[in-house]
Amino acid sequence: MIGKEITIALSGNPNSGKTTIFNNLTGLRQHVGNYPGVTVEKKTGVIKYKGYRINVVDLPGIYSLTAYSLEEIVARNFIIDQKPDVVVDIVDSSNLERNLYLAVQLMELGAPLVLAFNMTDVAKKSGKKIDISFLSELFGIPIIETVGSRGLGSDELLEAVIKVVSSRKRKEKKVEVKYGEEVENEIGKIISVLKEEKVPVLKFDARWIAVKLLEQDRDVIDTIKKESGPEYSKIEDAVTGSINHITSILRDTPEIIIADGRYGFINGALMEAYKEVDPGKLDVSEKIDRVLTNRILGIPIFVLIIWLMFQFVFTLGKYPMGLIELGFEKLSVLITEIVPQGLISSLLVDGIIGGVGGVITFTPNIILLFFAIALLEDSGYMARAAFVMDRIMHKIGLHGKSFIPLIIGFGCTVPAYMGSRILENRRDRLVTMHINTFMSCGARLPVYILFAGAFFPAIAGNVIFSIYLIGVLMAVIMARVLRATRFRGESEPFVMELPSYRIPTLKGILIHTWERTWMYIKKAGTIILAISILMWMLFTFPMIGNNYSTDYKGQVNEVEQSYQSGEITERELDESIAVIEAKMAGERLANSAAGRIGRFLEPVFRPLGFDWKMVVATISGIAAKEVVVSTIGTLYSIQEANGQSNSLKTALYKNYHPLVGYNFMLFTLLYFPCMAGMVMFRKEAGTKEMLFQIGYTFLLAWAISFLVFQIGRLFI
Amino acid sequence: MRKWSFRHRGGDAGKTPPINNGIMTMTDAVQGEKYRIIKINGGYRLNSRLCAMGFIPNEIFYVSGASRGGPLCIVVKGTKFAIGRGMAERIQIREI
Repeated sequence: MIGKEITIALSGNPNSGKTTIFNNLTGLRQHVGNYPGVTVEKKTGVIKYKGYRINVVDLPGIYSLTAYSLEEIVARNFIIDQKPDVVVDIVDSSNLERNLYLAVQLMELGAPLVLAFNMTDVAKKSGKKIDISFLSELFGIPIIETVGSRGLGSDELLEAVIKVVSSRKRKEKKVEVKYGEEVENEIGKIISVLKEEKVPVLKFDARWIAVKLLEQDRDVIDTIKKESGPEYSKIEDAVTGSINHITSILRDTPEIIIADGRYGFINGALMEAYKEVDPGKLDVSEKIDRVLTNRILGIPIFVLIIWLMFQFVFTLGKYPMGLIELGFEKLSVLITEIVPQGLISSLLVDGIIGGVGGVITFTPNIILLFFAIALLEDSGYMARAAFVMDRIMHKIGLHGKSFIPLIIGFGCTVPAYMGSRILENRRDRLVTMHINTFMSCGARLPVYILFAGAFFPAIAGNVIFSIYLIGVLMAVIMARVLRATRFRGESEPFVMELPSYRIPTLKGILIHTWERTWMYIKKAGTIILAISILMWMLFTFPMIGNNYSTDYKGQVNEVEQSYQSGEITERELDESIAVIEAKMAGERLANSAAGRIGRFLEPVFRPLGFDWKMVVATISGIAAKEVVVSTIGTLYSIQEANGQSNSLKTALYKNYHPLVGYNFMLFTLLYFPCMAGMVMFRKEAGTKEMLFQIGYTFLLAWAISFLVFQIGRLFI
Repeated sequence: MRKWSFRHRGGDAGKTPPINNGIMTMTDAVQGEKYRIIKINGGYRLNSRLCAMGFIPNEIFYVSGASRGGPLCIVVKGTKFAIGRGMAERIQIREI
């Protein structure tokens, strides 16, 4: 049968195991996108269950439905505007009181609710007894026990959802939290003013609005202001009067009294239904924290963990990379044998395999990196890292939390920009974003590996590390500079949950890793494929025809004649021909569109020691940094097309001084990440900030490289 | 920054002498001891945020750690939070 389509939204506190439940429900049938207009990540999945087509939307993890952060507003608006058929609130059973705070707010909102009491195993183990049927009756809401880490309870949850949907009768009487006489009186007054002024409160409930106004919820205030027009002042007066009244009598501001009321309601319910047998025992998390967040050991341990992560990603990644490289080499050979030599063969081998293949080769690194990041995130260490780093980050004018997007920046700057959203304060967020590009991303690594391998084969690791270090240093300097100039002001107060340590589920980590790796591969298959073809065209057209400056064909004939007359050996013949053909290739390139652009811009880059090929590579890197490698690859493979077996590294080593090689790595590090990154930047921060990012990083890259080359050449 | 470092206070050198009927700020709390939250002076947004996380008047908490000169580790309602000193200074507490 063709089933009904329903939408459910998953809500819950951060660290309530919401993502695990989402993964259990949807498996790999997930789609990651954004909420319209904002950049909060929206994960959706579709499941078919008992004839129903169920759209599952994973709302961002939040503590409450106030308008403190973008996530909270997004979650709230989704529930209000999209009216999901059921909201499933994931509750951490080992921490009922605080988790129910959100649940109570959802009840107040009147959303059709199902509660999932997650991690019931942990709760039971720590001696907590919950009378679930009692709570369910009290709230008038189905409650399902789940253990996300072991995949238990998913079916029961779906059953409950379907039951809610099919029963369809909207509850007349929803749970109402009472806030005490004083507050209730004021709520009554505000409701009557709202009704008097006939504020269209269509999708809202008047009581809910009154409570939100007392809480001074900015988002609701703005909405009411817009809806009520000039009459708003009356409402405002009423609200201000009520706030002052409550504050003077109860000696605390309404938002605190209201929160207290909610907790009172929760505690009243839990008093009957919840028993803690063995409270206050020092748990494992506490013991681990004694070491990991130790005042003296905290930072060294953090450095050690990051170092291990690097080793894991780069040392282990070498082996599969070698295999993939070999695969592409074999493929190129195969194509050259099958496809007749000419434009098509050149496009396939030089353009597409050279470009896309070069990028795909680095997939193992990306997989391992994202695996490591997911491991740190899911185990709970990432929050500790922010805690340990807060003081240092504070010194450079950033927030402890800034550290998290910055470290993600080592993987890819695009998700790092997105991750900056954990910073509530716009200034903190913008500074973090503006310096994130100096956290050398995974896409730049191929460039370093190529150049360090070519010029400093014996100490490649150290050279690459120095580039990373310079990046961090630049980030620190620029953070201070930006803080002192464009982004002056206090940073947002720091509060952040340090979740209990957990053994991450393999499934969770793999899904996480897969998502991000897939993003990378998709980039290779789309943007990078397009750019590779475009680059190949730039390098190939306009074709030179027979308009070489010298009569190369004549020269070839000459050496062949001297070979036949026995003047030179066969080896000398091959060498001479190779030299001539390299020259021809050089002229073809210089004549191509890419060569012309590179030559045109060369004077700008000459003071950095770059030649036009490096300029072309740099320009192609604007599209995506990993393209730099493929561009150089294409450049040199065209030159080597006639059987010279020298690798790219040898070609680079022959053509440039190591200082220039190093300088090129520096330049690649410093100028803004890539087009995809800039698109994201614009979405997050607006066009103006994006242009600023592009401008200042480019100037900085030029200035630093200029200094390094000009000073360095004095010593060589 | 305040007059004393946390380390000084948090060590065995003794507690800060109670001022104002034993009311002090969260930064004065000694590691391991339990306190009660008296008042939060954060402004609407911050108050709502803190309340949602469980920082609410009359709530009992303890300090489980601190990074030197950096944030405090506070356990409240069974959950551990890192809280910056600037914020901790706006929370008034009392010994119980």
